[in-house]
Amino acid sequence: MIRKRRTATAVAVAVAVTLAAGCGRDSAGTDDEARSVAQGQATGDITVWAMGTEGEKLGAFAQEFMTENPGARVNVTAVPWDAAHQKLASAIAAKQTPDVSMIGTTWQGEFAGTGALDPTPTDLIREDAFFPGAWDTTVVNDTAYGVPWYVETRVLYYRKDLAAAAGFPTGPANWDELKAMAKAMQAGGAQWGINLQPGKTGSWQTVLPFAWSNGANIAGDDGYTFDSPEMTEALAYYQSYFTERLAPTELAEGALEPAFVRGDIGAFVSGPWHVGLLNEQGGAGFADKFGVVPMPAKKSATSFIGGSNLAVFKDAKNRDGAWKFIEWLSRPEVQVRWYAASAALPAVQAAWQDASLSGDANLKVFGDQLADVKAPPTFQTWEQVAAAFDIEVEKLAKSGEDPATVARTVQDRAASIGTGR
Amino acid sequence: MSGPTTTVVDAKPAAPPRKVGDRPAKRASKWRRAVTGWAFATPFTALFLVFMALPVVASLAMSVTDLRSTDLRNPLAVNFVGLDNYTRLFGDELFVRSAANTLVFVVVGVPLTMVLALAAASALNSGLIRFRALFRVGFYLPVVTSIVAIAVVWRFLLDPEAGLVNNLLRLVGVDGPAWLGNTDTALPSLIVMAAWRNFGFLMVIFLAGLQGIPQHLYEAATLDGAGRWQQFRNVTVPLLRPTLLFGAVVTGIGFLQVFEEPFVMTQGGPLSSTLSVSYHIYNQFGFGNYGYAAAASYVLFVAIVALSVLQFRLLGERD
Repeated sequence: MIRKRRTATAVAVAVAVTLAAGCGRDSAGTDDEARSVAQGQATGDITVWAMGTEGEKLGAFAQEFMTENPGARVNVTAVPWDAAHQKLASAIAAKQTPDVSMIGTTWQGEFAGTGALDPTPTDLIREDAFFPGAWDTTVVNDTAYGVPWYVETRVLYYRKDLAAAAGFPTGPANWDELKAMAKAMQAGGAQWGINLQPGKTGSWQTVLPFAWSNGANIAGDDGYTFDSPEMTEALAYYQSYFTERLAPTELAEGALEPAFVRGDIGAFVSGPWHVGLLNEQGGAGFADKFGVVPMPAKKSATSFIGGSNLAVFKDAKNRDGAWKFIEWLSRPEVQVRWYAASAALPAVQAAWQDASLSGDANLKVFGDQLADVKAPPTFQTWEQVAAAFDIEVEKLAKSGEDPATVARTVQDRAASIGTGR
Repeated sequence: MSGPTTTVVDAKPAAPPRKVGDRPAKRASKWRRAVTGWAFATPFTALFLVFMALPVVASLAMSVTDLRSTDLRNPLAVNFVGLDNYTRLFGDELFVRSAANTLVFVVVGVPLTMVLALAAASALNSGLIRFRALFRVGFYLPVVTSIVAIAVVWRFLLDPEAGLVNNLLRLVGVDGPAWLGNTDTALPSLIVMAAWRNFGFLMVIFLAGLQGIPQHLYEAATLDGAGRWQQFRNVTVPLLRPTLLFGAVVTGIGFLQVFEEPFVMTQGGPLSSTLSVSYHIYNQFGFGNYGYAAAASYVLFVAIVALSVLQFRLLGERD
């Protein structure tokens, strides 16, 4: 309640000013030119906002940058995820932005659309250093606004012991094998062959890899394109896990990990954070009992890429220092150390050659998967369309909605929401 | 305190003694009184205007524009769209759904809360219950407990596998549903939880109301041969009417604005069956649809006014 009221106030003040000004929504295609960054060390104060664990750990981590650049001071403000979106929106409206902020990849379109982000200086940051899928999340209307900081992607987790008994000792490689394995695991005594998100917030991140692997494209240059035979087929395949009772339609929060540890659930799709969670909950020796494989293939084995970017604001007081700090954070050796500090996967490809990443069998799978990933479109309205998609996925999984209807409904909703351009 | 206020207040005793019929002096003192009043009222009035009135007016203005979060730096892009946002609302499947859910919240939740509160207050007042202070604290505790802590406990209670509710049901051989995961039970579960969380506040008010009823009326009723139930119907309820009206209006507003319960317990799911209007507005602000969300807020505001008027008509003084 309080949060809502605060938004209204911030916005209201902005409106009070703007209403007097008049009208004319022209295309937000402001032709931004990336400006270059001055040579030499960074100087002055650099204010940074970062969310969650990153916000808590980045401050101490930046000490090293200050040692290398004695003239610069990095001030990190940790922002809770819940409040971050509003805080950034209010800051942009009031032109009281920090120099640098972490930006969730799915917010990139919206915030770049406000015209508040500084285009990435091409003389300082090299695009080809990053995973292409990660770089795409920074690009809005053909201009990059920011730099990928860390990434996450979805892979398939499976119980090695159950999979071996089911006849898939190295895990499933494609759609048919995944289905066969889930069935065999259930026949072998597991309560559920697999867990797939049955709707709810963020379920699109589990569904879209199946759609992309089947060749579906959810957006073109002009807008959303959810309604395709490929999408319908992928949705039907996803739904079959629920109709054949291979996957639960309701799993309480926090129930997945213990069920997987007990062997009640044979497999699930998730991101890198689950490796640590499972080792923690499974106790000693559990690390040998589960494995990860890239997303099962259909036409391809494309997964979802998410994570966070770093962006500099046009209203930054210390633009050059800000970009230099980002450039420093993007160096492979710094990315490796940041991985050690925060367990966030490097967005810079070269960092993956380090032994701490390439030597770990599970991490290697994530590294391999990152070569075949897609990001959702950077339209300003993506978050809203994703929420609509989540609702339809829930209908698909829980109330047996026809897959073709789901694809059409999502497309209708997406079309009425528009791309925001 | 600001300087001028002090000056004016200090100056007052120094004023010449008032003479009856002395018109200029009277005018001066009237004027001075007005200044003093305004001086005291100014700090509050200024804060109220800037932080309460202005946002309300601005959000009304906002509700007739297509303002989005991406326009924040580019005010020229905002268009006046008239009542478009309002007409769009009623074609929005989710808004209609949330309005229906909220209506259920009000229609079921308000009477439930009132009955719980009145029953608890009567029991505490009648002396039937021992350890009165303990119960009073116990019933009031949910009101002051953080919703987050409450959510953790209730989610545990309602857990389909390990939850206390379903474990108890299993003892009597009933297989309980996944309370929060089922479209039929999620909304009722939340209503019960919301009523439990809020009735303590009303109970305290009802208790005060009950204690304001003179004892001799009950004695007179007893002499006339009225039983407990008749006393309750013919003495307690009529005399408690203003208190009940207050309770109904406050609870009605609270349930129309219900947000926290679905937010922390179900995120509006499953299948939007617990999405409330406030939650829908919150989401729309989150998506950056500021104009649209402001329009929805005003529809909610009108609904609140309408419900309150209705309650005054039904429960208010009739003579």
